Amino acid sequence: MVPLSFSRPALLVGLVLSLAACGGSDAPPQDAVVDSTQVTDGTGDARIVQLGGRNFSIPSPVQAAYAIRGAGLKYNSALLAGLDKAGAITDRSRRSLFLGMLGADMAYVTVHGDGQKALATLQTIERIGSELELSNAFDRALLERFKTNLGSEDSLLRFSGVAFRAADQYLKDNDRMDVSAYVLAGGWVESLHLTVSDPAAADNAALMARIGEQRRSLDDLVALIGSLPDEEQDLRLLEGLKGLQVTFSGITSTYAYEAPVTEVAQRTTFINSKSGVVITPEQYATIAAQVAELRSMILA
Amino acid sequence: MRRYILSTILLAATSVTLKAQGLCAPIADRCEQHITAQYIPDGQFYRALLQGEEVAEFGMTLFGGTTYRLAACSGDSDGLLLFAVYDRDRNLLFTNKEHSAAPYWDLVIANTLEVTVEAYLDPARSGSGCAVLLVGFKK
Repeated sequence: MVPLSFSRPALLVGLVLSLAACGGSDAPPQDAVVDSTQVTDGTGDARIVQLGGRNFSIPSPVQAAYAIRGAGLKYNSALLAGLDKAGAITDRSRRSLFLGMLGADMAYVTVHGDGQKALATLQTIERIGSELELSNAFDRALLERFKTNLGSEDSLLRFSGVAFRAADQYLKDNDRMDVSAYVLAGGWVESLHLTVSDPAAADNAALMARIGEQRRSLDDLVALIGSLPDEEQDLRLLEGLKGLQVTFSGITSTYAYEAPVTEVAQRTTFINSKSGVVITPEQYATIAAQVAELRSMILA
Repeated sequence: MRRYILSTILLAATSVTLKAQGLCAPIADRCEQHITAQYIPDGQFYRALLQGEEVAEFGMTLFGGTTYRLAACSGDSDGLLLFAVYDRDRNLLFTNKEHSAAPYWDLVIANTLEVTVEAYLDPARSGSGCAVLLVGFKK
């Protein structure tokens, strides 16, 4: 199965040309929706499309922040991206990456109860968001809601999640897949940076496993950025991510299926399959060094 | 002539994009109601325009110790979008097809696993439309 994306203008143009060429009875009905990837699976069965084209799920930075706190690592505000960098970054891809990094930082400071830092971070997010024409998601109203809920971690994380989702929706609706991809990439890199920067992480089995479990997300990010038009690709970022991919490919993982249990009345299914990840100290050190280099490059 | 063709193409392409926006936005608004206050949105928006038997798929990592809520919506009411979750060996973990096309479901994850979510329109109720999938989670 080779998925293709029909979500960008060039591909839409191709689609329109194809439709024009087909014409007649093969043309879809006038009200048909066609903004999707269509491929046969070789058996003539249902066609597979990918949601929004090359659109994968990248873990929320909030989950990394929870994992860091759960592992008992000490809160360290020195690890955060400097908010003063905002004015110096003018390139669109780097600005998008920085926005994603700030999203991860905001999750980190929020779960560690640093409300004032969270507010300052959100103010910078609003500014960067405005420069990226994302005022629909990051606006004054969000800031006000944030201010009045500074004591409620769950509310702050929810506001943030809703805002980033609104931004993602806007970007996808308006065919700005590059900004969407770079925001996700920035958040992922920063989350990994916050996780691996404390040497104590290496002594925590759960956190080490969580690092190893990022392999698929990394593969998805590389595919996502690699699918952008050439002129929108940040080649140095892509190169750095591919370097990380090489390291992650050496991490071993296990998986064993177990039958899930469903409780219908609660609309809940318990998924009990077993899994494990083995990451060596050398791999951990390499990942930490590569992430530091990648992050420095983004913030340079 | 060339300019005319190009303009037509761009106009058609724009109209497809606008059609996607128009179709999906109200569905997304409705679907968001299923990610209730106990859940933190994952910050991403997943949508596809489906026709007939098309299946939308996306991959994700579900982390152990987390409860995820998946909400799947299409059309102007709940229950039009069917979805199924498979593990990496293609074992079926869940499908709302067995539960009256429930518009949302919670997955409690014991250990981290990679899954593929497939979503498709209920052929008996809808021939084409925008499929929206939203994800939230809690500790």
